[in-house]
Formats: sequence, C-alpha cells, structure tokens
Amino acid sequence: LSDQVSFIGTVAAAGGPGAAPQGLRGWLRRAYRFATDRNDFRRNLLVNLGLFAAGVWVARNLTDIDLMAPQPVP
Amino acid sequence: MGGECCPPQQWRRRPRAGASSRSRFRQRRCPRPRWRRPAAARGAGGRRAGPGMGNALGPAAPRAPRRGEPLGSPGSFDELHRQCKEVFPQQMEGVKLIVTKTLSSHFQVTHTVHMSTLGPSSYHFNATFVGDRQLGPTEAFPTLIGDMDNSGSLNAQVLHLVAERIRTKAVFQTHQTKFVTWQFDGEYRGDDCTATLTLGNPDLLGESVILVAHFLQSITSRLVLGGEMVYHRRPGEEGAILTLAGKYTALKWVATLNVGYGGAHASYYHRANEQVQVGVELEANTRLQDTTFAFGYQLNLPQANMVFRGLLDSNWSVGGVLEKKLPPLPVTLALGAFLNHWKNRFHCGFSVIVG
Repeated sequence: LSDQVSFIGTVAAAGGPGAAPQGLRGWLRRAYRFATDRNDFRRNLLVNLGLFAAGVWVARNLTDIDLMAPQPVP
Repeated sequence: MGGECCPPQQWRRRPRAGASSRSRFRQRRCPRPRWRRPAAARGAGGRRAGPGMGNALGPAAPRAPRRGEPLGSPGSFDELHRQCKEVFPQQMEGVKLIVTKTLSSHFQVTHTVHMSTLGPSSYHFNATFVGDRQLGPTEAFPTLIGDMDNSGSLNAQVLHLVAERIRTKAVFQTHQTKFVTWQFDGEYRGDDCTATLTLGNPDLLGESVILVAHFLQSITSRLVLGGEMVYHRRPGEEGAILTLAGKYTALKWVATLNVGYGGAHASYYHRANEQVQVGVELEANTRLQDTTFAFGYQLNLPQANMVFRGLLDSNWSVGGVLEKKLPPLPVTLALGAFLNHWKNRFHCGFSVIVG
C-alpha cells in the first residue's frame, strides 16, 4: 500500500508542472479561435464594440482640424 | 389680512389643571376663502392679493419665473439618429440627372433620370405641394408629395396639421398596380414630450395589422428617454417587441442608444468645428445574428462650395461622395465611389442636380 501511495504521489507531481502549461496553451488556443471566428455573433459584437469605442475616441480627439489653415512653410 | 397669506397659527400653553375652563389655546384660523371678482372688474382701489390667494381676495400677482432651462420638445422618434445618419454618404452608382423646378411658392416638380449599371434604368416624376402653415424652416402644412416611376409604381405622402399639437401622416406605396404599403400616423407634440401611433397595413378582411407606438420624454434639457412598441398580428401569429431609447445632447456631440429584444443601435455624432463633423454607428441584430460598425465624416468647405462625405465600415467597405456647387449656375455635381475589399466589388457614379 505504501508503494502504491508513493507511486500515485509521483504521478501527481509529474502531472502538476506539465498540467499548467497545457491549461494555458488550451486557453490561448480557444481565445485565438474565438478571436478569428467570423461566424461567432458574440465575437463580432465585441470586436465592433471595441471599434465603436475607438471611433468615438477618434471623433472626440483627432478631428479638430482647420481645413482652410495655410500649409506650414518648410 | 386681506392682502396677506394666512398668518401663522399662534399657540399658547395648555391651561394647567384647575385653571379656568375657558381654553387659552387659541388658534387663529384663516377665513374661508370667498370668491371675489377680479380687481380689474372691481375697479381701481381693490385690495391687492398675495401670491396664491387669487381666488380668495382678487387676482394673484404673477409668480416668480420657473427655475431651470426649458426642456424643449424631443422631436420625432424616427429622427433620433438623424444627425449621425446625415454625415454618411449615400450609395451612388451609374449616372443620375435631377432637375427641380419651383413653379410657385407652394408647388415644385422634380424629374429624375437614372442610368444604372447594376439594374434597370428608371425615370421618376415627383410633385410636391406645400401649404401656408409653416412651423419651421423645413415644416409646412399641409404637405402632399407624390413620386411615380416609369413602371407605374407610386409613392405618396400626405402630412397635415390637425390641431396645434397634433399632426397626421398617411403613406401609400404601390408596385405597379398593387398596393404594397398603406400607413397612417398620428403624432402629438407637447412642450416636452412626443407620442406617436402608427397603423401599418391594416387589413380588416385579412385580420392583419402592424401597430407601432412611440413615446419620448425630455427628462432634462439634454436628456431624452423613451420607447417604442411594435405589435404585429396575422392569422395564426401575433407578437410584440419593446425597444427602449435614450438620447443625450451636449454642446458639440449627440449620443443615442436604442436597445430592445431585437437588437441594439448606438450612434455618436460629433461636431468638431464648422468644417468637420463625424458620425460613429453600431448596429446589432439578434435575429440575424449580425453586427455592423460604421465610421463616417463630413467635410464642409463653403468657401470652395464643396462638401465631402466619407465612409468606413466593418464590412470592409470604404467610400466617399464629393458634392460641388458650380456657381453662378444652379447646378450641383456629385461624384461618388464605393469599394468593398472583402467581396472585391467596386462601383462609382456621378449625378448632376439642377435647381
């Protein structure tokens, strides 16, 4: 019995550090698939929400342009 | 006393036990208000009444002006996103010639010839009659508009002001000889609210109807909240959809949001200066499982008699329309081009507007 317990402990210890990168890689894989799946409604909604926020920021900060101002002399 | 409010009640201590039975607790009461003729009818020398005592002792003095800004009418529900939508360019393809002739101060006709590259070419004749009752620069009643094309399809609208605050509209659309749309609107415009009821394609024999109710309320001078309810009924089917709407108007920008079971529509309009206006739009449709984003801008150069509108959206489309007036002629030239990178489609067009 003590051999079995020590064997189980060894297996658990070996799967610990390897399980974390496996979980992280799986999460990254799922996130990449979500970000590139053009047929996913939630993904498209999040992307367009981000674009909307970026568009509002551009409208508020980068559009105060005087089109009739004289060009700068080099 | 006649010219004053009721004086404050005067309280006295309770009588001690054994004191005189006559109560020393006196309460001066206001006399029962009696109606008197207004001072103007009574003649000079009538007593002057205090505020809030107009009925009792004569006409009330004018109240102090109400604090805060006036709320203002919120306008129509269909025009919530109008400012943002006007920034975006209209799709153009083929060649279009539009000739407008004003025959009198009430009557105007327009001829439109469209040589299309994507579909059949067409000719439209439009006649507009405007009545005498003018409420604003673009609002006059009654207004009758009729548009007929070369295939016999008709689009007609009648707008009428029934009362000071009540306006009605009737819309008819036919496709050649068959009626496609018949719609009746009734709108009430209050000082700070708007209520609209629309009846779409009512069919008593077929037992079908579309009912749309709108309501908008100005909460503050800048914030408008409201909602829309759409009810449709057909044999064997009926349903209703509720949408909530909100609009915030600031000095240089306007933000509008419609949220409902069918989706959401958000728009942001920003007026950077006299020359540059920007519009950002987001639409999400839960039934079609589709979302779109669009960014548009408008550049006004009155010194050059030029207006340019540009567009960029999430469907990988970019486009622009340039409108240039050609003084002293009453002619406007418009050039437009749209490119869809994803579908690899490009179309351009130009139009000449005379009058």
